[in-house]
Amino acid sequence: MSGPRKCPDCGSSDIVDDAHYAQNQLVCADCGFVLTEGLLTTTFQDEEHLQEVTYSRSTGQNEQLSRCTQRGIKRVQDLCKVLRLPAVFEDTALSYFQRAIKHPSFHLVRLEKKEILVGCCVFVTCRQHNWPLTMGTICSLLYADKELFASVYLAVLKELELDVPALSLMDLVKTHLNSFKLFQSSASIPARFAEDKDKMVARTIQIVELASETWLVTGRHPIPIVTAAAYLAWQSLQPAGRLSCPFPRFCKLAGTDLPPPAHLRLKELNDILLRMASQLAWLRVLQVDKKTVVKHIGDLLQHRHFLVKSSFSSGDAEASSATAAGQGSESSPRVAGCAGQAEGCPPGGKQKSSTGQRPLLPPCLLNPRKRLRTAAPSPAEQAITGDEAISDSEIEQYLRSQEEMREFRKAQARH
Amino acid sequence: MDAESDVALDILITNVVCVFRTRCHLNLRKIALEGANVIYKRDVGKVLMKLRKPRITATIWSSGKVICTGATSEEEAKFGARRLARSLQKLGFQVIFTDFKVVNVLAVCNMPFEIRLPEFTKNNRPHASYEPELHPAVCYRIKPLRATLQIFSTGSITVTGPNVKAVASAVEQIYPFVFESRKEIL
Repeated sequence: MSGPRKCPDCGSSDIVDDAHYAQNQLVCADCGFVLTEGLLTTTFQDEEHLQEVTYSRSTGQNEQLSRCTQRGIKRVQDLCKVLRLPAVFEDTALSYFQRAIKHPSFHLVRLEKKEILVGCCVFVTCRQHNWPLTMGTICSLLYADKELFASVYLAVLKELELDVPALSLMDLVKTHLNSFKLFQSSASIPARFAEDKDKMVARTIQIVELASETWLVTGRHPIPIVTAAAYLAWQSLQPAGRLSCPFPRFCKLAGTDLPPPAHLRLKELNDILLRMASQLAWLRVLQVDKKTVVKHIGDLLQHRHFLVKSSFSSGDAEASSATAAGQGSESSPRVAGCAGQAEGCPPGGKQKSSTGQRPLLPPCLLNPRKRLRTAAPSPAEQAITGDEAISDSEIEQYLRSQEEMREFRKAQARH
Repeated sequence: MDAESDVALDILITNVVCVFRTRCHLNLRKIALEGANVIYKRDVGKVLMKLRKPRITATIWSSGKVICTGATSEEEAKFGARRLARSLQKLGFQVIFTDFKVVNVLAVCNMPFEIRLPEFTKNNRPHASYEPELHPAVCYRIKPLRATLQIFSTGSITVTGPNVKAVASAVEQIYPFVFESRKEIL
């Protein structure tokens, strides 16, 4: 680009760089032929003195777009700034918004929907880049109604024909825990409640993985599961001081709100942990119940793959042999040794399985909702063709007789 | 992995919606006065009439258009619609039973296995949409049949389509995909 240049007119190679009225020009020194105007070099020095104004900040854009579109663009930019998204996200979200706003179904609607459209474009962009953003967050930022947001979101996906990957639960755990205020002791948080962030995140991720293996995550809202898992992880890291702290108090300390399904998720997680604990002989002897199982979460998580597998197969005893029973110690080398022994045990081992172990099923199958279903149509009814004759007596039951009509008129007249 | 096993799936039709026209103007006040089992919704401008034997609810507009819901088969829908037209005739209107059409059929089917929804969505990307924050089921659309299926993780599938045949073929089409993503006992 910047090699020795030749003047096309006279062929001389004496080219000077002349700044004529602050505009750079390449001029031949012999004949005065102007080769090129404008910027040719791209050195760092030159770029420092550039005064480029992006189109969006110039006034050129304002003259070409309608006021509604301009306002929407500004809202998208503000939302991206608030969420601290990378610049790439902002450009993608803006392009989606400009495409969407041209559709009549998004243009000829009330202002509330246009605001929600802004949030939808940002939300779709984040999901496509696997940035963990939940609908709850966007709705609270926009003060939007959740059902309306859902309908606009589905309409956007349909109109723009976008494909959105599933929400990554692990990233969501990290982002959600970032907002917890438990990682430093302060005036409201006593020292025994403060916790190290990395340990808590790691353990919460393990509990969430356990939940997704045991069917607690499919079809459910992700945030209550993450909250319940965080509570269990926090308790298990220092059970001594924290067992007495109830779930609502934990959420208040952490500075998040407690979503209503979180209690149910906590109960389900506790059930799973109890099932797993019953597979470990030394915990069986200790007779853990739902209050004390928290103490042993560390061990259970370490061997969760094995324990979940053995819980799923319908209750056959693959537990470790009796030598481990009665010790109840929780030190790691012990645990590793016993687990190795357990895995070496052939299935259908010597110990009798505890009675009444039903297989591990998803919670929706354990508590089926009773639905009144009409029985399958009998053969006589199946012979209906729809074209049979209609008798008068059948129709009489749907018509009022004269006396009934008189009574009805009288009753109406009284009102 | 044989998806063509001789499993007979029971498709239970729970609702059939049909429309017909009476080709004459109907006086809603007269129907409300002289008909039994009717509810007159004056603010919206329609009358709801319920039949007992085929358990059907009909929405009647003054223009003469009638929508019947609640039947459990296409024949029963026609059966009920004709009875309704006959009752309107008895009330004194010049009713002609025309333009009968089954508009929507809703059916439920139970798979004998549970289904992993995230895996199913990944394998069937353009047609399947799964948003756990909005609805616990995967919504799968079959465009040529104009059928929509809602697939739950328990194996229960709800199908809506324009007629019973479309619903049956939709279930047949979805079975192999759902069978792929079923839950295996570890």
